[in-house]
Amino acid sequence: MIEVALIGNPNVGKSLLFNVLTGGKAHVGNWPGKTVEKKEGICRYKGEEMRIVDLPGTYSLTAHSIDELIARDYIVKEKPDVVIDIVDASNLERNLYLTLQLLELEANVVIALNKYDIAKSLGYKIDVDELSRILGVRVIPTVATTKEGIDKLLEAVLEAAKEKKRRRVSIGYGKAAEKLISRIERTILKDKDLSSRYPTRWLAIKILEGDEEILKEVEKSRFRNEILEVIR
Amino acid sequence: MRMPLAMLNEKEEATVVEVKGGKGLVRRLSELGLTPGAKVKVLFSNSPGPAVIDVRGSKIALGRGLLMRIFVVPEVETH
Repeated sequence: MIEVALIGNPNVGKSLLFNVLTGGKAHVGNWPGKTVEKKEGICRYKGEEMRIVDLPGTYSLTAHSIDELIARDYIVKEKPDVVIDIVDASNLERNLYLTLQLLELEANVVIALNKYDIAKSLGYKIDVDELSRILGVRVIPTVATTKEGIDKLLEAVLEAAKEKKRRRVSIGYGKAAEKLISRIERTILKDKDLSSRYPTRWLAIKILEGDEEILKEVEKSRFRNEILEVIR
Repeated sequence: MRMPLAMLNEKEEATVVEVKGGKGLVRRLSELGLTPGAKVKVLFSNSPGPAVIDVRGSKIALGRGLLMRIFVVPEVETH
């Protein structure tokens, strides 16, 4: 079964899309040990079964709030086959911040450019192909309220799930930071366990940012002194 | 004229110029869309309590303490 996670900012139509994909039949529980609702459902399309997991709506994937941490942990640790990033087409700039974080996490992203009708009625012209080229992922315009684009979205999810190799897009942070990032990456690679569990570049960036959850992980490594030396 | 966002009344609009705070706060608020250059509008203000503001198409509620750290230049009304 293909495992698919749904993620997006608050108010992008995520719950509606979840209901459209699963036919409204959701298994509702809690995330283990946390009083945050977890919704799961099954979506069948062209003989394939997909398990759809609804992640909490967030603006970012730092470890500030329990919602963000749940979403991030799920993507890093459970490694879903595909992550559908629901983006509000009428508010692209704000929404793409989360998208970039997902790409940095090396998630297998498919973008649902939702509320496409609203964007059009506001007079926005979005070059979907160019957006897809820049981000290196599939971008599908959708209108969850009328189910427009849903078949195309599912097609894209199946295609993405089959792909082994993905084009990676990375965001540059300028010479000085990049130097530190690659130095940290090199030391992370010495720890086979750590580097197999996390994307190394992402880990290096989080260490530089001083992300508490990640620093706790690094503390457990045999190479912690070497890794942390760079930021001292 | 720059002033804390806390000084704005309901329905007033402004542009963010600076967030005064530590690394964590600046990052958190920028994730919520409060970066220099961002347009904000006060939707509801319960002075001296919290306020609801519109920033980049989202409504967010902020406490007075945070509102004092966000510096803005109010929109000049032209009549």
